[in-house]
Amino acid sequence: MIATPNLINRVVSGITTWARVNSPWIIHFNSGSCNGCDIEILATLTPYYDIERFGIKLKGSPRHADVLVCTGPVTRQARDRLLRIYEQMPEPKFVVAVGSCGISGGTFAGCYNIVGHIDEVLPVDAYIPGCPPRPEAIIDGVVKLLTHLKNGTRPEPIKPQLGEQA
Amino acid sequence: MNTEARLQRAKEILAPFTKETLTPESNRVDIVIDAADLTQATAALKAADWGYLSAITGLDLGPEAGSLEAIYHFCDAAAVTSLRVRLPREGQPEIASVADQVPVASFYERELSEMLGVIVVGTPDPTHLFLPDDWPEGVFPNRRDFKIEDAAPVERDVPKVPEQGRVGNKFIVPIGPQHPALKEPGHFEFAVDGEIITGARMRLGYVHRGIEKATEQRNWIQNLYLLERICGICSHTHTSAYAQGAEKLAQVEVPMRALAIRELVAGLERIHSHLLWLGVVAHEAGFDTLFMYSWRDRETVMNLLEELTGNRVNYSISVLGGVKQDIGPEQSKSIHKAMDYLEERIRYYLDVVTSDAMFLQRTRGIGTMTRDEAILYGALGPTARASGLERDVRVDAPYGAYGKFPVSLITDERGDLEAKFVVRLKELLVSCFTIRTIVDNLPAGELAVRFPRKVPAGETVSRVEAPRGEAFYFIKSEGGESPTRIKIRTPSLCNWTSVINKAVGHQLADMPMMISGMDPCFSCNDRMVTVRRKDDSQTMTWAQLRAYGIEKYKSR
Ligand code: SF4
Repeated sequence: MIATPNLINRVVSGITTWARVNSPWIIHFNSGSCNGCDIEILATLTPYYDIERFGIKLKGSPRHADVLVCTGPVTRQARDRLLRIYEQMPEPKFVVAVGSCGISGGTFAGCYNIVGHIDEVLPVDAYIPGCPPRPEAIIDGVVKLLTHLKNGTRPEPIKPQLGEQA
Repeated sequence: MNTEARLQRAKEILAPFTKETLTPESNRVDIVIDAADLTQATAALKAADWGYLSAITGLDLGPEAGSLEAIYHFCDAAAVTSLRVRLPREGQPEIASVADQVPVASFYERELSEMLGVIVVGTPDPTHLFLPDDWPEGVFPNRRDFKIEDAAPVERDVPKVPEQGRVGNKFIVPIGPQHPALKEPGHFEFAVDGEIITGARMRLGYVHRGIEKATEQRNWIQNLYLLERICGICSHTHTSAYAQGAEKLAQVEVPMRALAIRELVAGLERIHSHLLWLGVVAHEAGFDTLFMYSWRDRETVMNLLEELTGNRVNYSISVLGGVKQDIGPEQSKSIHKAMDYLEERIRYYLDVVTSDAMFLQRTRGIGTMTRDEAILYGALGPTARASGLERDVRVDAPYGAYGKFPVSLITDERGDLEAKFVVRLKELLVSCFTIRTIVDNLPAGELAVRFPRKVPAGETVSRVEAPRGEAFYFIKSEGGESPTRIKIRTPSLCNWTSVINKAVGHQLADMPMMISGMDPCFSCNDRMVTVRRKDDSQTMTWAQLRAYGIEKYKSR
């Protein structure tokens, strides 16, 4: 049988999806967080929580990354950098917002140097709430994202809602 | 010399300039001077070797009073002498720079000018320190009448694309703000001649959120939780410093048991922070095994913190007037067990960092800072102590329970990176010992007392030793439900001066190690700095760099 371009495409895309799901590379950017979330992200990468068992690896360059993990509210000074990092990532790319302040501004909502939360600047695919979220929560969020990648769907993020009165 | 004698001496030194002397607290004296006398008064204190400039607070006394106040806080052990300078609020409030005498003051002065609108004459770099590039002119967040609407971004002009990226035979190597080395954003530019650094510049301000202003809009209790989130690594330092100041103002006597528990948590925080640092620097050196080891062991402390407080990071153990959780026999057992394990591991790390030949090549004799340089650059915390400078608020001015459960001071004379490892690791052994002592001798009593909703008018200075050095708080109340002004000066800021000045002459490859060697924390000190530039005639702003990139791409 002669391989048609269609078949080749299907095979190649199957292989890339397989590779992506089994080894998504992440890049981490802090756009104004308090560090609390960042050290928890680092903790998930180290032996105790060991997120590398899902093939997840922290990369230094946005050009190598599939998933952008952001923390913190977006400050005026960091906004352009965040955008630029996002622009530099190859398609398809995914964004995970970690921590209450990345989701809603958190305690920093209303501060003069804050542009807003992450989804006001970038399209976010997964939200991981907590201040900071526990490493288990971060792992859970990432694994949920992986499940979607496997099915070839883009997750429909459910943004955590604030309390009734808020 | 005790505190009174120190204060007496300061009064004598400053007598020629004194307009008025105030004694707001027993360990403080405030001296009102004329703006014209500031440089001489600073020189007099410096000549007499009286303490170090710890912070400059800018106060707006409001449109009715029509004046601003700049307060220069000098600290010598527990004694704090503040030079207060009144300036007109309207027109051009001007003050002379003291940065030629005290290099670190250049940060404080830039902050003063952009936040309060005081013109500092002769300051080495009058550009923005905290605020973003698109901040409008003539809008000062720390003025009482600041409105967030006034701060709308102004049009940013994209400067012309520079001709070339190469200057003579020097290259500028830009690093950051996103970079693999640190988990926080900071932007560095190193001018290099071959591999050797000839100039260094840094630009921070990526995580400046405007917390000082935000405290004025929140009440005393909300502020505890806001200030805790200045930094997730040393969150307890900030709550302790703030609570301690607020309690002093409200004249609330905190039970000894609560103070002891605060000290215990501070010890645990120091362990988690230093182990985190150890891992990060080992990673910079390419020693990933040590990185993974130390982070694994750090989880012991994190679990312990969770057991004691209910949270791993931002533990909120302090409340105004005491602490939230008690330590029972069960917890004591886990604390001792964890300490057994940690002490053994820390001894092992101490052995590794002083004997591993490969590692020593990266640390021994690198970035050596002498004691005199440490004094000149105003270094604090382990960075200063590794150069033999005995500076530790816990020892110099024991606060909270540190009088009852003292810690011993660790110093090292060598001043290089290796000394920084040794000092930090030995400090951990001291912390373990103190934690055990506290657990075994926990004073009986209440956990917390009532804290009033409104705090009586007054001003106070609260200093606490963070894992990275002295944190300085100035808190002012006017009797309301919220503070009038909270000024925070965190230790990383002071330590930058030393690192950037030491960078010149080193290999570029040593920079990540040297930068992490001081354990920088951006979230608490976020500012922007140019410290030393020899002849790197070209630096690009972000917009320039971006435009340059686009041009270059198009012209391929
Ligand atoms: S969510 Fe909480 S822990 Fe995370 S960055 Fe924000 S304030 Fe810090």
